[in-house]
Amino acid sequence: METKLKSQVLQQFQEATRSLVNPELQKWKDQGGRVLGCYCSYIPEEVITAAGCVPFRMRGTGSTSTELADACVSLINCSFIRHSLDLGLRGEYSFLDGCAWVNSCDHVRRIYDHWKRKIDTPFVHLLSLPKKVTEPQVEWYREEISLFKDRLGFHLGVFISDERLWKAIRLHNETRQLQRQLYELRKRKDPPITGAETLAVMVAGTAMPRQEYNELLRELLDDLSRAEGHTDYRARIMLIGGILDDPRYIDVIEDQGGLVVTDSLCFGSRTMWRDVDENASDPVTALARYYIADRPSCPRMFGDHLRRSAFVKDMIRDFNVDGVIAERLVMCDNWTGEQFMLGEDLKETGFPYIRLDREYLLTGVGQLRTRVQAFLEMMGR
Amino acid sequence: MIVGGCDVGSATGKAVVMKDGAILSYSIIPSTTKPEVTARTAMDQAIEKAGLSSIDDLDYIVGTGYGRLKVPFANENISEITCHARGAQWLCPSVRTVVDIGGQDCKVTSISDKGKVLEFVMNDRCAAGTGRFFEAMARVLDCGLEGLSSLSLNANHPASISSQCSVFAESEVVTLINEGVELPDIAAGLHNSVASRLSSMIGRVGLVPDVALTGGCAKNEGLVKALEDKLKLKVVRLAEDPQIVGAIGAALLAREKAPVPS
Repeated sequence: METKLKSQVLQQFQEATRSLVNPELQKWKDQGGRVLGCYCSYIPEEVITAAGCVPFRMRGTGSTSTELADACVSLINCSFIRHSLDLGLRGEYSFLDGCAWVNSCDHVRRIYDHWKRKIDTPFVHLLSLPKKVTEPQVEWYREEISLFKDRLGFHLGVFISDERLWKAIRLHNETRQLQRQLYELRKRKDPPITGAETLAVMVAGTAMPRQEYNELLRELLDDLSRAEGHTDYRARIMLIGGILDDPRYIDVIEDQGGLVVTDSLCFGSRTMWRDVDENASDPVTALARYYIADRPSCPRMFGDHLRRSAFVKDMIRDFNVDGVIAERLVMCDNWTGEQFMLGEDLKETGFPYIRLDREYLLTGVGQLRTRVQAFLEMMGR
Repeated sequence: MIVGGCDVGSATGKAVVMKDGAILSYSIIPSTTKPEVTARTAMDQAIEKAGLSSIDDLDYIVGTGYGRLKVPFANENISEITCHARGAQWLCPSVRTVVDIGGQDCKVTSISDKGKVLEFVMNDRCAAGTGRFFEAMARVLDCGLEGLSSLSLNANHPASISSQCSVFAESEVVTLINEGVELPDIAAGLHNSVASRLSSMIGRVGLVPDVALTGGCAKNEGLVKALEDKLKLKVVRLAEDPQIVGAIGAALLAREKAPVPS
């Protein structure tokens, strides 16, 4: 889909998705700033910001092969794992001053083991992420976040006070509010920004110093307020899935006329649909409650499918969605189950829904195009 | 109104010319390395057979198949899933499940009584259960594609071939040959293995009769029989060559999409 938006900031965000280190991050590093990798959207990034570091979401961007990683993991591991680990083994992540994991899934969990032994990163930490979303798990994660905070603070020689945490929480909430403003514009009949462009904005936010990102995002929103909207689409699509960080995947969908107007993705709405409660009594508890119970959950959380399904249905209504595309990385067990269950829920209502398999690197564009085109035709569009 | 459908597949290019809802002519040619050339050659042949003088005699043309974006003379392109569903339903209105076995992929599509696509699954990640698979096996058995079908119809005790991967199936076949297993039994075993793969794909969208087979491999009676045994029902034999069903569907859609003459 042709861009309607002449925005330098947008280009800057798009540029940031094409490599690991973008100019803003490089500037931060040159000034002696520290960067900490986050292997999942469940890492409490606010703690990292409070420690004076930039949280950086791990990607496999720029990887072309996986032979180093394949020597460590097996072919039943997903391609995101293999590509990101391979980059690590090649030294492409040497700009990191540390890296944090949660046991998002067995695949990510194993990367931690390999990373710890084979890649020289000054600080590595694994948080134990509970599997359910109720009060005892909030308490569990509160303890985990507290441990992470103390260990990271000790390692860096920084005392991460409550005051620092609240400041970081406010900064990250500001990002979320700005991103929600961006999504709000996509509810329009003529959204001024495409799904591919939006993904670039979201990915860039995980790779830049937060303050600078928020300022750029404000500029973008200003540009968007003057932009022409898209009306030449065949259908409004909601895209659902896991670690998708390549806007070109969405380009293929949008080139067929399926304008992606909203999502539930690891680099999308799930990370910003709610705010961390700034009025809570204790910042660590507020973070734990946010990550475990408040925000839309990832399918790796048990017993929360109904709420996830309701979230999707709310999105469908609010964004006037015509059809849902659910993508998953081949070998992703969490999304396999979710895709099926969500499909059953939507089928009951007769809502157009399609499941797609994907590799981390964009391959098989022809096959993707055929499926998307047939899906749009099936919807009578 | 005269319309055309052009289906540029991975192995062959197909073109159909229709006039007022009846087929005037069709052509099937091997695909070249240039989809534009394949499309043009197939279309020109069909036009000539129809007794028309040039492509300008056609009011509207729809392109489909893997090369559908490379049909320079098409007014628009529509996915092969929609086209096969449309074509199969036109040939046999009672069809609810379409199994399209092409050169490099297979697709199962469930359709409504109005010919609308309800759901589809595709296998395009590997060669198993596609024309390429049969070509490779016919080479190992040294029997040609037609021979594969006729051999299997004479089997007494179909061999069991567990691997559905083309490469490993080939090693299994070589083993069976060396063990002295009769060639008809090996051929039937191959068809059974593909039929079981197809039947699990059919299971994904849900088996609703009638079932029709389309695409080049549907001409393989050995495979059709194997699938019938697996599904425990009769597969519809279409009134036209199953290989041109996608092109027929494209032509039918061309008729619907063509602007009404003023």
